[in-house]
Amino acid sequence: MKVEHINPFIESVYDLFSTMIQCEVKKGDIGVIKSFPQSLDIIGLIGLSGETRGNVAMSFPISTALALVSRLLGTEIRVVDATVSDGIAEIVNIVAGGAKKRLSLGTPSNLSLPTIVRGNSFSIDYPSETVWLEVPFTSELGPFTLRVTFEVIKEK
Amino acid sequence: MKILVVDDSSVMRRILINSLKQIDLVDIDQADNGEDAVTKALAGDYGLILLDWHLPNMLGIDALKEIRAKGKTMPIIMVTTESEKPSVIQALRAGASNYVTKPFTSERVIEKIRETLTEIPPKAIP
Repeated sequence: MKVEHINPFIESVYDLFSTMIQCEVKKGDIGVIKSFPQSLDIIGLIGLSGETRGNVAMSFPISTALALVSRLLGTEIRVVDATVSDGIAEIVNIVAGGAKKRLSLGTPSNLSLPTIVRGNSFSIDYPSETVWLEVPFTSELGPFTLRVTFEVIKEK
Repeated sequence: MKILVVDDSSVMRRILINSLKQIDLVDIDQADNGEDAVTKALAGDYGLILLDWHLPNMLGIDALKEIRAKGKTMPIIMVTTESEKPSVIQALRAGASNYVTKPFTSERVIEKIRETLTEIPPKAIP
C-alpha cells in the first residue's frame, strides 16, 4: 500500500461532506498505525475484496456521530440507537464507494456490507502485520478519523 | 402520485423521502430489500421508484430487471454508490430511467426526479 492510495478516500470524505452533510471538513496529517486505540467511539468498518482488498474504518466520537446523523436527517438525534448506527454505516459505505471509483487501478473490487462497532470499551485487532494509514479530520460537527488498510494484488 | 423508495438503509430512505416531500411527493411506500421491492412494484401502481443497487436478498439491478421483465414501465431511478461507467450503462440497459450517485445534494436528486418524470418511460434493451 502506498501513502497516496489514501487520497481517494480523503477526496471521498470531502465529497460527502460538501454534498449530503453540507459541512466544512479539514484533514489533519496522515499517520501510520499498527493497531487501533481503545475507544469509546462508534466505528464503521467496510471491507474491500477482489484484486484490491483491505478495510476502511471510520471512527466517530458519540457527539460527532449524533451531529452527523442529525444533519443528514434534518432532525435532532439525541440518543445512539439503530438509526445512528445505520447513518454511520451509510457514511462509511458512501466514502468507500466513492474511493473505489477514484482508485482507478484497473482492478475490480467489491465492498462488503458495513459493520458498526459501538460500546463502552472495545478494541479491534487485526493480524499483526497489518499497517493502517490514519487521517484525523475536524469539522463543525466534530472530529472523526479515517483509517485505511489495503493491498493491490494486481496493479496496472 | 405514489412513490416507492427502496434502500436497505433507513437513514437513506428518510433522506430521499425528505427530498420527495420538498416537491410535494408525499404518498410514499418503502422497501428495504430487493424481493420486497419487486413484490411491491408489481402489485402497486407507482409513478416512480427510487432504487438502491446493493440490497439484501436481491440486488437492485436484478430487481430492476425483474420489474421490467414483468412489463412494468414506471420510471425507475437508481440511487447508488456504484458510479463507474460500466455500472451506469448496465443499469440503463436493464431499463433504469435515470441514475443518481451517492453522495448527492437534495437539489440534485430533485433535479433528476423532475427530469425523469418528463421523459417517456423506457424499456429494457434486449
